[in-house]
Formats: sequence, C-alpha cells, structure tokens
Amino acid sequence: MIDLKRLSRRGLLNMGAIGAASLVMPKGLLRPAYAAEPLAPIAEEDAVIGFGHVGPITDEGWTWSHHQGLLAVQEAYPKLKKIHEVENVPYSADATRTYRQFVSEGANMIFDTSSTGDFLHEVVRRAPDVAFMECDGHAIMDNLGWYYLAHWYPTYIVGVAAGHLSKTGKLGYVASFPVPSVFCSTNSFLMGARSVNPDATLQTIVINSWFDPQAATQAGTALIDNGCDFLFGIMDEAGYLQVAEKRGVWAAMWNTDIRRYGPNAYVSSIIIDFKDFYVDQVGKRLAGTWVPGEHILPLAGGVDRDVWGQNVPKEVGDAADAVRQKMLDGWSPFVGEIKDASGATRVEAGKQMTELDLYTWDWSIEGVSGLSG
Amino acid sequence: MVEWRLQRLPSAGTGAALGARIAAVLLALGVAAVALVLAGQNPFALAAQVIRATFGSTFGLEDLGLLLIPLLLTGLSVAVGQQIGVWNIGAEGQFYIGAFAAAAVGLFLPGSAALILPLMFVAGAVGGMFWILVPTLARAYAGVNELITTLLLNFVAALLVYYVATGPWRERGGVSNSATARIPAEIPEFWGLVHWGLPAGVLMALGFAALLAYSRWGYEVRFAGSNAKAARYAGMPVRRHLVTVMLLSGMIAGIGGMLEIAGTVHRLQGGISNNFGYLGIMVAVLARNSCLGVIASAAFMAVILNAGIVLQTQGLTSATVLAITGLILFLTAVGDEVSHYRIVRGKV
Repeated sequence: MIDLKRLSRRGLLNMGAIGAASLVMPKGLLRPAYAAEPLAPIAEEDAVIGFGHVGPITDEGWTWSHHQGLLAVQEAYPKLKKIHEVENVPYSADATRTYRQFVSEGANMIFDTSSTGDFLHEVVRRAPDVAFMECDGHAIMDNLGWYYLAHWYPTYIVGVAAGHLSKTGKLGYVASFPVPSVFCSTNSFLMGARSVNPDATLQTIVINSWFDPQAATQAGTALIDNGCDFLFGIMDEAGYLQVAEKRGVWAAMWNTDIRRYGPNAYVSSIIIDFKDFYVDQVGKRLAGTWVPGEHILPLAGGVDRDVWGQNVPKEVGDAADAVRQKMLDGWSPFVGEIKDASGATRVEAGKQMTELDLYTWDWSIEGVSGLSG
Repeated sequence: MVEWRLQRLPSAGTGAALGARIAAVLLALGVAAVALVLAGQNPFALAAQVIRATFGSTFGLEDLGLLLIPLLLTGLSVAVGQQIGVWNIGAEGQFYIGAFAAAAVGLFLPGSAALILPLMFVAGAVGGMFWILVPTLARAYAGVNELITTLLLNFVAALLVYYVATGPWRERGGVSNSATARIPAEIPEFWGLVHWGLPAGVLMALGFAALLAYSRWGYEVRFAGSNAKAARYAGMPVRRHLVTVMLLSGMIAGIGGMLEIAGTVHRLQGGISNNFGYLGIMVAVLARNSCLGVIASAAFMAVILNAGIVLQTQGLTSATVLAITGLILFLTAVGDEVSHYRIVRGKV
C-alpha cells in the first residue's frame, strides 16, 4: 500500500502523469501538476513579474517574440507594480545571480525564456513562494513548470514546401547546438520534404550559437557550395536568408516574419507567439490558481507557418497548407516506421510519437547528416 | 630657475595609492551618474538599490562569496606568475582545462564524494599545469614570449570544452541543453550557496603570500623577478624557478576551474569560465601582484560584477553595465599610475 503521508509531492506528480493521458485537458497543456497547491493570490498592484532572456530584445527573433509577450502582459495588467526584464542572460552561474536578484526584488512570477536548467532550478528550490516558468525546460517542481511550442508541425509543413521547391533534393540546415529542439526541427523538416521527394537529404552545420550572423552566413555559403538549394535553420537572425537571396536559392526561417532581408528567397518561417500564454499564466498567478504545468503550445495556438513568400508558387503553398489542415484535424505525420541515421528502427511501424517524444527527440533520422545522434 | 615638475617614484606611497583609488572610483561613478541622468535614470536610487541588494541581503552576500572564489584563484594565478615577471594571460584556458579534467574524473570515475572530490582537485591542478606546460618550456628554454602562447591556448581550451560539452559528453534527453550530466560529487556548502571553495581559495592566497615573503624560495623568486641577471650572477637557479612558478600559476587557475565546477556550476559546459581568467588579470593588476592584495581586489571585482547584475534587473542594458564596469577599472588603473608621481619643485 502506498503511504500517503510519506509520499512526496514529486511522487504524486509522477503518479498523476501516468493517469493524465486519459483525461481531457485544455489545448496545449500536456499534464498539469495535480498535487501542487496553488500559490496564494496577489493583488495586481502588488505583483512583480520577471523575464530573463537569452539574447537582446531587438533581435527580431526569439527574444523579441518573448518581449512582445511581456508587452501583452503589461497591456492586460496595467496596474502591475513592476515588470523586470534582463536581456543577454548568459548560460552560466550569472543566470543564477540574475534570477536570485529577481527574487530579492520581490518577484512573484518569473519567466526564463531560454532554459537555463540547473542555474534556474538552484533559485527555484530556494524560493518556494515564487512561480517559475522555464521555456524549453524539462523539470517540474512545486513552483516550476515549463512551456514550449509544437514547432515540429509547422516545420513539417515547411518541409513539404521544401520538397516541392528543391530541385536537387539537397537541403541545408544551420543548427545551433545538438539539443532536442534542433534534432526535432531537422527531423520533421526532412520528413516533410521526403513526403514529396523520398530521396531528399538534409545536410546540417552546427555553429554553437543561436545568434552569430557571421557564422550563420558562412554556414549558409558552405551549404550552398555543397549543392543545397533550400536552406533552413534555427537562428535568431537573418544571416543565411541574405546568403540565399544573393545566391538565388530558397530559405525558410524561425521566430518572426523577416522576409524583407531576402524577399525573393523567403519561403516561410516558424512563427512563434507567446502573448496569450503569458497573459494567461500571469492572470492565473494573480488569481491564485496557478499550478506548475507542462505546456506545449499547439499548431495555430502559438506556433504556425508564416504567409508564403512572394515567389512560392500557389500550388506549392496550397499543397503544404493541405497538410496543415490535416494536422489541425488531428493527423500526425510522426508515425513509424522511423529509422535513425545508422539505419536502425527507432519507432516501430504504426506507432505514433507522442508530443513528449517529439519534444525530447535526441537522435537524427536517416538522411540527416552533420548532427551526431 | 625654479620650476615645478613631475617626478616618478619607484613605488607609490600607501596613502597616495589609496587616495588615487578612491578618487578614481568616485570619478567613474560621477561620470556614470551623468550618463544615467542623461538616459533618464535616477543614479541615487540605483546606487541605493545596488548597495541594498549587494550588502543588505543574504542573497547579495552569498552571490559575492560565490563570485569571489573564481576571481580569487585566477587573480592569484596571475599574481604568482608576476612574482618572477611572467604574464600568465592564459588563466582562462587553464581554468577551462582544470574544469575539464575535474569533470572527467567526476563524470567517469565511480565512488563517494569523499574520494572523488580530492581526485577532482588533483585533476584540476594537474590539468592547469598541463595547459601551461608548453608555454613554460618555450619560455624557459627558447625564450618564447609567454604572452602570446598562453593567450592563444585559451581559445583552444574553450573550444575543446565546447566540443565535449555539446558533443561526446553531452547529457542526452536531460534537463540541460549543451552541457554534460550533473557531476554527482559536490563541494559542500557552508553558508547559503557559498561552498568550501572560498576558504580554500583564501588559504591558498595566504599560503602563497607566506611562502613568497618568508621562504628562501620566495626570496629567490622575487629576486629573479626584479633582476634575473643579478639573480643568475648570485648563483640562483633562475630557470628552475621560472618553470616552477609558471607551473604553479597554471595549477592555481586549474584549481579555480575545479572549484567552479565542483562547487558552483556542477556541469561542464561552454562558457563555464565566464571570463574569469581575463578578469583575473585585472584582479592581479589592482592588487599590484600582492598575493594578499588579491583577496581584497577580487572582493572589489566581485562587488562590481554583482552590482552589474543588480543594475540589469533595474532596466539597464548589459552594454551600459559593461561600460560602467570598464570605466571604474580603467580609471582605477590610471589612478594607480598617477599615484606614482609627485610634484616637486627643483632647479632645472
């Protein structure tokens, strides 16, 4: 028998997770933490919110998008006592210092918009009355939840377009780090392309940064020199789009609509939007109903493909959008059999990958080169 | 004809040096305050906030303690090298390799923390020494300037750590991005987040200060540092001392990397050094290469870095904070130089 008195909240969370799949849940919420008690409500005029970003809010990309979320919170709750925002939080012990500083400034809720992992958790454990949300996080505690986007769906859709547009069948990818978001991005992009052209391959170059225009430009040039005629990547800036424009090949981007840097090359972008999510989370914290959950914002509910580029033929856009409609109706392309880069079967035939499988994907599928699985 | 002129003194008086420093910091803060007013900020409120958040809270004091540890070690590393006239610009790289070697032990050797931590310590020390070995031999036997060799090896070390942390050693499907798994052996904390690396670092600074001041070896090293030719003439083994001092300098920085990974960060990752190696040069310069002075100047640097984080939460951009930090350090260095001069009246 389970000793309920000695059972930790954490243990309860794990038990809750097992039963969670069968329950009906709001869109985007994977599994709420059933056992955690909500933190006490706060009056709007007493509430302090903190945002820590990986880059500058002027990046027109990832950090800019989160900053739009902050502005939406400000608009929805104009009486908030204070919103702290720190840019360029390094992935080092300085992140711990920054978030501790938020706590000592009286923050009631803190968003880490680019998973700093242990550096954040160090603070979370010592500030039990503060609600923490970690973007692209993986851990959950009594006062820590995480959120991310189901970017694999729009990425697959853009991959379908790439399959139609690429003449050589050689696709290129400018990657940041070998982390799950990148594995999932490269894999779903190639799967989309292969649904049109089964011989398509994806060559990846890792540049060890999310924001390094020079390295991204060099990587883009190298990929085109290797015969790639469609570039994709996961960068917070437009470096390789400009290369694609100059060299006359296609490119798809991430985060925001930045077609003006390469209007002829631009195909689409993985557009992200955290505004509603942030407003909702802050509202719950104020009302005293916030509990830590694991949120993956769905297709058309925080993440989507962008309006197709000016040179994308209408039939290509329509073909990709037809796939998008199928997804919105509940279809998933992430069904076995899926083989990894070494040829071994990793997802059995007929088995569908769950959202969590996709979120934690850390191996490359057959046809992706340059990313060590 | 009687004329006023500037005279440079071989060493500045304590009073003059202290006065110059205080004046420099005040001047820098004044300049920063003007810039802040122009940017629409209230400098007095910000200053009060910095003081309150740094000294008025346990959080702030803990952060100071944590920042102090790596700064102390890298500063000591540079200061020790300076005793014999060596510029170790490579503390950054030795710090990385110390962390790398300690992480290798912590990640791949099984055992209890009581066994693994000493091994990690030795690995960090040896790693730091190994990273300065080639520059040491090149300097001692071929007269190659250590400024260039130690500096360039920093980039090699940083890229090596980036490679293993995002490549072969990275944690798969775990909580972290682009870092290794958490190393199970951790240096215990004795006050809040501050771990025993702090007293260890202070002890090392005291130990080296004593060794240099009171031992024959220390005397010979300092002698060789101020005049190698005379030392050689006096029969001192200058080359041997040079090799020993440089290896010790690398060792100290390597231990700094070990303490950072086993006490503060717990995972090997790119950027773990946080520029502590380069800041260590500044710490040593501010301490005028005194091993005891390093304790004070590392504390000063920790306050500045911590204030930088407080200011960022108050809405200043990281670039502004960096500019203010640089201004303080720049004017302090200028003040130090100025304090070497006095105005004298004499006949031409």
